[in-house]
Amino acid sequence: MESSIYKKKRNLLVFLVPAFLFMAVFLYYPFLKNIWNSFQNISSLGAAGKGWNEPWYSNYVKMAGDKNLRTALFNTLIMMAVTIVGQVGIAVVLALMVDNIKRGGKFFRTVYFFPIVISATALGLMFNLIFLYDKGMVNQFLEMLGKTGLTDWKDSAHALIIMMIPVMWQYVGFYFVILITGLNNIPEDLYEVAAIDGATRWQRVRYITLPLLRNVICTCVVLAVTGALKVFDLPWVMFPKGMPLGKTWLTGTYMYYQAFNTKNVDYSSAIAVLIVVLGIVTSKIVNKVFKEAEY
Amino acid sequence: MKKRVVCVLLAGAMVCSLLAGCGKKTGSDSTAGDDKTLSVTTTFAGEDGNAQNYKDAVAAFEKQEGVKINDSSATSDETFKARVETDFQAGSEPDVLFFFNGADANSFIEEGKVVSIDEIREEYPDYASNMNDDLIAPSLVDDKKYAVPVNGYWEGMFCNTEVLAAANVEVPGADYTWDQFLADCEKIKAAGYSPIAASLGEIPHYWWEYSIFNHTTPETHLEIPTSVDEGNGPAWVAGMEDIKALYEKGYFPENTLSAKDDETFALFTGGKAAFLIDGSWKVGGIAAACQSDAEDPSTLDKDKLDKFTVTYVPTNGERKATDLIGGLSMGYYISKKAWDDDAKRDAAVKFVEYMTTDDMVAKFAQHTASALKAAPEVDETQFNSLQVKAIDMMAGVTSLTGAAQDLFNGECRISTFDGMPQIVTGEVSAKDAVAEGLATYADQTAE
Amino acid sequence: MKNKKPVSIWNGLIYVVLSFWALTTIYPIFWIVMNSFKAKNEILANSFSLPLGDQFTLSNYKTAFERLNIFSAYRNSLIISCTVALVVVLLAGLASFALVRYRFRLKKFIYSLVIAGMMFPVFSTIIPVFRMLNVMHIANTSNLWMSLLSVALPQIAGNMSFAIVVLTGYIKSLPIELEEAAYLEGCSAYQIFFKVVVPLTKPSFATVAIFSFLWSYNDLFTQMFLLRLPEQRAITRLLNELTAMEGTNYGLMAAAVALVVIPVIIVYIILQKYIIKGMTAGAVKG
Repeated sequence: MESSIYKKKRNLLVFLVPAFLFMAVFLYYPFLKNIWNSFQNISSLGAAGKGWNEPWYSNYVKMAGDKNLRTALFNTLIMMAVTIVGQVGIAVVLALMVDNIKRGGKFFRTVYFFPIVISATALGLMFNLIFLYDKGMVNQFLEMLGKTGLTDWKDSAHALIIMMIPVMWQYVGFYFVILITGLNNIPEDLYEVAAIDGATRWQRVRYITLPLLRNVICTCVVLAVTGALKVFDLPWVMFPKGMPLGKTWLTGTYMYYQAFNTKNVDYSSAIAVLIVVLGIVTSKIVNKVFKEAEY
Repeated sequence: MKKRVVCVLLAGAMVCSLLAGCGKKTGSDSTAGDDKTLSVTTTFAGEDGNAQNYKDAVAAFEKQEGVKINDSSATSDETFKARVETDFQAGSEPDVLFFFNGADANSFIEEGKVVSIDEIREEYPDYASNMNDDLIAPSLVDDKKYAVPVNGYWEGMFCNTEVLAAANVEVPGADYTWDQFLADCEKIKAAGYSPIAASLGEIPHYWWEYSIFNHTTPETHLEIPTSVDEGNGPAWVAGMEDIKALYEKGYFPENTLSAKDDETFALFTGGKAAFLIDGSWKVGGIAAACQSDAEDPSTLDKDKLDKFTVTYVPTNGERKATDLIGGLSMGYYISKKAWDDDAKRDAAVKFVEYMTTDDMVAKFAQHTASALKAAPEVDETQFNSLQVKAIDMMAGVTSLTGAAQDLFNGECRISTFDGMPQIVTGEVSAKDAVAEGLATYADQTAE
Repeated sequence: MKNKKPVSIWNGLIYVVLSFWALTTIYPIFWIVMNSFKAKNEILANSFSLPLGDQFTLSNYKTAFERLNIFSAYRNSLIISCTVALVVVLLAGLASFALVRYRFRLKKFIYSLVIAGMMFPVFSTIIPVFRMLNVMHIANTSNLWMSLLSVALPQIAGNMSFAIVVLTGYIKSLPIELEEAAYLEGCSAYQIFFKVVVPLTKPSFATVAIFSFLWSYNDLFTQMFLLRLPEQRAITRLLNELTAMEGTNYGLMAAAVALVVIPVIIVYIILQKYIIKGMTAGAVKG
């Protein structure tokens, strides 16, 4: 793979330094402070630490026994599966379809982008009204079909599903745009050659498109699993504080809650460290799986 | 393509201004460059009922004194609090700040970054002289008074009289007892309505406060117990048990654990629930719900608003129903930085004095409390019917007590606030939950 | 075109699926625009009906335009977000190219750093960032340009990781033969990047620019911290000020969302021109 062009390492610095300088100053240094904070006792955001925790690693001990955090990790694991299958999966199907049609491609590409640009507050409100107990769209519709009695869609039995559907739906467009860009990077000549060889449409997808798209799909899956770890706004608007009965915690919402609601900033910093570690580990796993896959 | 050219130009402009800025850095602090400016941060912004009053007052002050106000007011939320705190830490605090006087102010008072009223009076003897000093809340840190209050708050029980009439229940008054309240709830429930609009899952705060207040007295309410068995400890447990009993009888909406606060509030304004315990700011919220255009008071549906009233919270113990939770939780601070700056000291004092004259305070306070020694008469004709009812209610109040939860802040609240659903469903016993919170509180204060 | 029968059935099915998804994505925008023409008390009661007759009102937009200086906020937003998008695309492009094509010792570690950069929550980094900007006299000044810059700088860093992850994915898929050909013709590494890699992956750069723009534009938290004075406010920050607080005014919120969304959609449609099939084929032959 390595070509002789890229032997001169001197250029490397010029390519890498500007980007990483920005990140070092505005991301890595502040996050080192965050790691430091996770050992301190800090009672509100912006306040100075009141000294070391006793013992200094106590937040990490606390995490091991935290029931809500366990729920959050479990829900986040489900969320990862949902984002991989629901977001990336649907996006791949839609992108392949749009790539294969002659008319209207531009239209679909534009409208699929819509959900990402709307703020979570507005979407949260809309979904709240759709699933409203007395009487949102769904309950009105069921009543029309002759169902008696109202269903509380946000109770313990339904909450997790009702939280995940909007999150899944919102970000399909995001992966769709990334994938369709990847499709456009594939040179048209390859398809022309294949067509001359008499390949069917399915064969072209199977033997040209998917293999060439593999790196981009891998990127999408990395973004999906890391995204699941930090997703916050839409779930928080619909189900604040893990409502009902702490059933809907996610790592992202739980971290926010610890920082802003309970003002346990040091513990929140520790959860942030956990999220970063999990993000690196899961993305490593994804990269490994995709590297070993046959194509 | 054009767009891209524009972007490049804009980016170029930014780089130029960056260079220009670097050159200027030799001067002193860039906000303090002009001695005729004052930086002010308040919470009178966004949909705060006094946002417009504040803007008008600032404009008038600028005109009168020839001082430019750099106003960085913002809606009061957690981000705002964090911003204020960070500003003090980084030494970029405003000259004048309108902020909470409770635990939220502890950190900058501890570090001596604001000036106390007494210290200001040594040089400006008339500073806040129109205020009744007994009503100005002292700091939790050193018992000194720092913040000059303007408008206060109270918490009361709003009623939807339409629902009460449909259930054949009378509008409660000053001598309303707990037993009457329970009997009325039963009637309302039998008539097919929700007796109490509350989201125990999201905002149990008002019920938490009053349920405990029901078992304490105005004198003792603010004492945080050291354990469940001592001081107010049993009162706290009894309060939680009361909420549980109401929940078990089905007096809260069916989805009180999964609904958000705006949903249950909509039940109340939509004529599906009878009672709502909430703060004085909901007077505006209910009026807005009765306007076809929430921004325009002239579109108010007066008949609809007349169906709402506000009254005292029924009592279940020693306190009288007319003893309410309320007080003055915010005020104007002058920062040490501005005080030590000769160019700003005078302007900062003048600004606070201007914002706390009798007339100004009366205008901001409306039906809520104020600390004025001699409050000017209010002209009731300018108020809507609910505001008038609120003024009437306040006239009969026997005492206003601060909220215990303002002292019981942060992590210690988890077990009884966010844990309220677990308490009412019996997953955790009230006693255990209170004990857990008190233990956390003890840890916090010990530090 | 010699369309055989099964193909057109397939085509029909494809259009049905695509249209169904399109419906789910168009409806929310439609719902928001529709409710922005309704008064507040109509929304909770009748959020899914059309604003006809008595229900119709322009007051939400009137309030937004009368009370706020929307146009200067749009200008501030565009300045910040265009700067962020441009700088991110340029720097992340360079870095991704190096990460894909060069082989060096710390590569794996650096890639982990990039992933980590994507995971940092804003609120855990904002306070040190604010202090630094404050020391540099960029934040907390009454100078408009400095304040806008103070938002752009952390946002550039914040979007960099995402951009690098996505761009490395695209650049990996490029056939290296083209670059080798350019090398044989005597191009330096920089020339290869700008004359071969960039033209070939133009759509990818456009995509990354779109998302960097979008996230910078919607990043309320950083704006809340760094844009204080009224004339500095960017559009998301300005409209949040209008609609935050209790007694939420849903009609006004819908109008605010509509006003925020429109420029983003315009930018997307403009940039989409670069994500068109066929351009790449030409570049390869040239």
